[in-house]
Amino acid sequence: MKKTADFTRRQVCVGAAAAFATVFASAVTRASAVLVAADHGRVDPPVKVPDLPVRRAGDGASRGLAGLLHGRVTALHLMFTGCSTVCPIQGAIFERVQALLPDQAERGIQLMSLSIDPLLDTPRAMRAWLDRFAARDGWIAVAPQPKDLDRLLDVFGQGRDAVESHATQVNIIDRKGDLVFRTPELPSADSIANILRRV
Amino acid sequence: MFMLAATGWAVPPITQAGATAGTAAAHEEYLRGQALFSGTMDLHGRIYTHVADMPPTVVRCANCHAVGEGPDVKRSLAPRLTYSLLILPRTRRGGPPSHYSRDGFCTLLRKGIAPAFVMISVEMPRYSIDDVDCGAIWRYVTGRDREENR
Repeated sequence: MKKTADFTRRQVCVGAAAAFATVFASAVTRASAVLVAADHGRVDPPVKVPDLPVRRAGDGASRGLAGLLHGRVTALHLMFTGCSTVCPIQGAIFERVQALLPDQAERGIQLMSLSIDPLLDTPRAMRAWLDRFAARDGWIAVAPQPKDLDRLLDVFGQGRDAVESHATQVNIIDRKGDLVFRTPELPSADSIANILRRV
Repeated sequence: MFMLAATGWAVPPITQAGATAGTAAAHEEYLRGQALFSGTMDLHGRIYTHVADMPPTVVRCANCHAVGEGPDVKRSLAPRLTYSLLILPRTRRGGPPSHYSRDGFCTLLRKGIAPAFVMISVEMPRYSIDDVDCGAIWRYVTGRDREENR
């Protein structure tokens, strides 16, 4: 008898949780049409990456993000130069991607490290960060204006606002500047290279 | 001679009166653990979804974890490794109360499985590490050398 009662209570709890999840999911969908689903895999429909000004590593030149993405297949990750935890791993992964893609330029593929700490990530700091990983042509680092950071995190941030716990997925953007694929957290270099070859 | 100032722990010299062969060996193990933890000696680890090890510099324990009463790791959310965190029973990652042992700690480093059989996050590398090196890190992070030299 007790077992039956427990089972019934469990069913009620599960039902309530499912109902809550449904309502919550629908509320999230309504609240944010821009926020990309917190998952990995194909992004369908593709999401246009906002055209915002960014500063490039090295010379600090200001460019529109759309212009940097247009005509290239881009693998983009979030990082900041003062990060000693996951960002060095992310950098090492991109270094291996470059080694796996000797024909990167011919294929029109680029790697992009997008700073989520634009106040501290100066062009010089970003250049030094790229140099730590022996970045070659075709791997750039950029920082948005601080006021634009939230808009980019809406697209790439997976709902994580804290810099210290930023998403470590790699975002694949097609030649039209649309986000079309998102990998799992800290993907292998092989998997990134394979995806980039197929887009 | 390894520099210990960075840990915030003062380890007495082993040559002082009363030191035994046992404490000398413990001290050496502690220093080895400190070197492995800080990256002075290489550790070999990989993200568990990958087929190759990461460069040792990016999988150093000290990249993410502070230890004992030592300085913080800036902008890291990884737990500070202390004797009480590891040894005292507590709820970890939603599992039942558990605590680490030396063997449990080694299992975590190698397989990413915590004492309550909860798998840790993908960001924590899994290490190819033998019992000697794993035991040395365990001694270092639990501050056993400090205790035994009092």
